[in-house]
Amino acid sequence: MNLVWKLLRQHISVPQFIGFFFANLFGMLIVLFGFQFYHDVLPVFTADDSFMKADYLIISKKIGTASTISGRTNTFDNSEIDDLSGQKFVTKAGKFTSTEYKVDANMGVNGTNVLNSELFFESVPDNFVDVPLKDWHYKAGEKVVPIILPRTYITMYNFGFAQSHSLPKISDGLVGMIDFNIFIHGNGHQEHYKGKVIGFSSRLNTILVPQAFMDWSNNYYAPNSKSDPNRLIVEVGNPADENITKYIDKKGYEVEDDKLDAEKTTYFLKMMVSMVMVVGLVISILSFYILMLSIYLLVQKNSSKLENLLLIGYSPGKVAWPYQLLTICLNISVLIIAWIILYFIRGYYMGVIETLFPEIEDGSMVPAVVVGFILFLVVTVMNQFAIRRKIMRIWWRKD
Amino acid sequence: MKTINLNSVLPQVFAQRSDLNSEIWKQEVTFEKGHLYLIEADSGMGKSTFCSYIIGYRHDYSGNVTFDTQVTADFKVRDWVEVRKSHISHLFQELRLFPELSAFENVEIKNKITGFKSREQIVEWFDMLGIGDKLDAKIGRMSFGQQQRVAMIRALVQPFDFILADEPISHLDDTNSQIMGEIMMTEAQRQGAGVIVTSIGKHMDLSYEKTYRL
Repeated sequence: MNLVWKLLRQHISVPQFIGFFFANLFGMLIVLFGFQFYHDVLPVFTADDSFMKADYLIISKKIGTASTISGRTNTFDNSEIDDLSGQKFVTKAGKFTSTEYKVDANMGVNGTNVLNSELFFESVPDNFVDVPLKDWHYKAGEKVVPIILPRTYITMYNFGFAQSHSLPKISDGLVGMIDFNIFIHGNGHQEHYKGKVIGFSSRLNTILVPQAFMDWSNNYYAPNSKSDPNRLIVEVGNPADENITKYIDKKGYEVEDDKLDAEKTTYFLKMMVSMVMVVGLVISILSFYILMLSIYLLVQKNSSKLENLLLIGYSPGKVAWPYQLLTICLNISVLIIAWIILYFIRGYYMGVIETLFPEIEDGSMVPAVVVGFILFLVVTVMNQFAIRRKIMRIWWRKD
Repeated sequence: MKTINLNSVLPQVFAQRSDLNSEIWKQEVTFEKGHLYLIEADSGMGKSTFCSYIIGYRHDYSGNVTFDTQVTADFKVRDWVEVRKSHISHLFQELRLFPELSAFENVEIKNKITGFKSREQIVEWFDMLGIGDKLDAKIGRMSFGQQQRVAMIRALVQPFDFILADEPISHLDDTNSQIMGEIMMTEAQRQGAGVIVTSIGKHMDLSYEKTYRL
């Protein structure tokens, strides 16, 4: 056995090191958990709606008791639309067009019928929809219609239906599994179309079809009816512009602000995770002190041995190395065990998250690995310096 | 390293003393490789202090200690490590052995730095000094005289240009001091090294070329 180690391990206090080990383990684990959890959960709130351009607002008129009784309309007429388009903060504005005819549809997955209903479609001008043109394309008379479904449908299906009927859960990548049959009748025509679901939108609570299909079908199945839009879609340059709020308040409009909700939730998530991480960091720092104190104590108790080693020709580096190695080993084992425990914890909570939000990406442990490694490096480097410094104090006989 | 030179070296504690009558302190002294020196002193005159200046353990003096032409005040840590490792061997008055280790381990821990001597050579020295049966005994259980012999062996298991023996035989009988002197001189001559022995009275019976009074 290494004689230097045999000498220097004298007075090592096992309880102290066990104390450090667990304190550091918990601290490290809490920090890594906080960071990893934040990264895993954040996409749930910030997932961009890949089908809609980012900075747009959906504006509708307030529906209150008074307007219901007075029969005041909640649709926008052309002058109102022009007025809105004329505002400085508006980059472009478009209106929602609804179907004027009756639609029956059924939705199935893997041949099992999930939903049968009479419903309606809406459309917005194509330049508000951010999908490759070849997917979002309709030519008059075609029997296949591209569709974007509200995400709530799929959530409902995944939770309410799929589980009880042992059907597969559907995520964004598996939209092709949905069969969507559309039956339209009006103006003496009756036809069957196939809906091709190209994705889900969490920001539009409506079934969206291409404007081209809407225009054509309204004309074909209900040539004589025409109604004003009750919702407008507006792209704005700067969503934080206060003129927007002023204008909307003045006109008595409403903005669907699900985006704001997500931001609030993200904010609280950030705050909670930061608090958790701070607690973890404090524990880590305290454990670092425990380690430094026990090493200092150890060096102090062994100072005459260390001095003798230096005097018979050992270099300070060689004498410091056993203690440095000790801290490196301790820190590495703490890091690895923290990673392993985190792996299992993450496996558990990701299972829950994936059931709740099947569309969420799997992610990876890279954030925890990186943060853990950085923490390990910082702590270890500081340990090395502190030990080296302590040994040099013995060399210069300062203690 | 060929010479150790003391150029008006004076420990700071002696700075105020006017009655100093020393052949070392505040003098120009040169120790040369290959020669044998004795430094005699009453206790309290700074024998161990003298040794600690030469191996860089203490630096509280005025004047210069130079090795060849290098002033040791400019030495870095690694220069001192090199000096202690392969140029100057020191047999400490207080021995500085490790009580947790056995006699042999105490020698081996030093021998390991340079791998200078074989186990056979070390065991032979143990036998010559009459402690061959104590190889595996813990130092803490040995008498001071026995420990002194182990410390001497430890001082010899390294390459050196000078060996500083600080009161090497204070607790030894004449026979053992005789043997110890022979072993030390044989090794020093083999290496062509200079030998500096200090003593407060009882000293090894060797043919000293020069004697200084501290």
